[in-house]
Amino acid sequence: MVRQARSEATRRRIITSAVELFNEIGYPAAGLGDIIERAEMTKGALYYHFDSKESLATAIIEEGSAHLVEAFRSITASSAPALEGIIHGVFVVADLLSTDQIARSATQLLRAFGEFNDAAARTYGGWVAEMTERTRQAIDEGDLRGDLDPQAVGETIVGSMLGAELLANATSAGADTMSRITRTWKVLLPALVSSESLSYFDEFLARESMRHSPAPQAE
Amino acid sequence: MTEQLERRADTTRLQILRAASHQFARKSYSSVSLDDILADAEVTKGAMYFHFRSKYALASAIIEYRAAVARASVDQLLAQKLSGLETMIDISYLVAIEDIGDETARAGLNLLESIGRTDGLQATVLGPWVTAFAAIAGKAVKDGDIISDRDPQGIARLLVSMYLGLRQTSNLAEPERFLRDLENMWALVLPGFVKPDRIDYLNQFITRRTAVALKKATPL
Repeated sequence: MVRQARSEATRRRIITSAVELFNEIGYPAAGLGDIIERAEMTKGALYYHFDSKESLATAIIEEGSAHLVEAFRSITASSAPALEGIIHGVFVVADLLSTDQIARSATQLLRAFGEFNDAAARTYGGWVAEMTERTRQAIDEGDLRGDLDPQAVGETIVGSMLGAELLANATSAGADTMSRITRTWKVLLPALVSSESLSYFDEFLARESMRHSPAPQAE
Repeated sequence: MTEQLERRADTTRLQILRAASHQFARKSYSSVSLDDILADAEVTKGAMYFHFRSKYALASAIIEYRAAVARASVDQLLAQKLSGLETMIDISYLVAIEDIGDETARAGLNLLESIGRTDGLQATVLGPWVTAFAAIAGKAVKDGDIISDRDPQGIARLLVSMYLGLRQTSNLAEPERFLRDLENMWALVLPGFVKPDRIDYLNQFITRRTAVALKKATPL
């Protein structure tokens, strides 16, 4: 029991150190030696838990992605209408990216590994499936247009949000993520939302974006 | 071994609380007898007295139990990170749905009205409600939904009173009517403290929440 707890603590320390290093200098530049040094561990301890740098990255991808998916699900599982959950959930996930180190590192590693890593493929696939399901619900509830293909909408939302986050990272180190996400939704909403619900969701988005804007509220 | 015993005691206690809620949700405090509860719970008189020394002790336990459950659901709603005013509206609908369809929720509020009046129980339970609501109303002021010179504490008290009063004047056994009444009350009170340019959106928000609640609420 005690040994198990100690082993878990070691594993945690390795992951934390790796996340810090990956976030500071990037995955390619961070060697296993640097990670061992930061974690104050022996090589043996590291290899006991991870047989390569990639298996360490996979563990980070899995854990970080789980944080993000859980956050999204906890929003969409509420009794709010599905489209409100989708929009609000995306903002909450984006918020988490700026506060949760493992989640941030996972997103960057996902980009780096994309097509070569099973965990990465599973993660993206999971997001699309999740979004497609919510989309189907939002169509049933009449907020999304009835003639839409849920799968195509799910893919479009996930793709455009990932794209917005990528552009924000590349051009402003993530500083304008929220306003990019707002602008992306602004383009998407008129294409997806039923005409009866559109004005409500314009306002819903405006409120959401205002709560996430860095400028202090004028009052 | 003791852990197992404790768990069994816990199960028995919950069994009694549930059976008692079943009664208190449907009948007034004075017309519920301990024998009815015993028969419902399928426990011995000894077991019952081990956990609750009197009908009164049992009734206060239901109120406390329900308050704890409600606190947990409110925390969950707060974790949703919606705006303050939207959170307040959501809480009122959550409470209404549970009040309509959940025996413990119904019994808890029924008992709070009847036995809570005499010994300060209402103050112990409703005080924290008002305080919690006032904090959320404070957030709604910061969000720019509530007019800035309105007193969050006063708004919180108004909304709690509004819900407790609605339980008296409307009918929980008719979910459609109860939820429409709740919707109307919200529409009537909003202009008292919400900025005029936010009211349209919030009215729509309330209508949408009513629609969801109508689908979810099933009477006892």
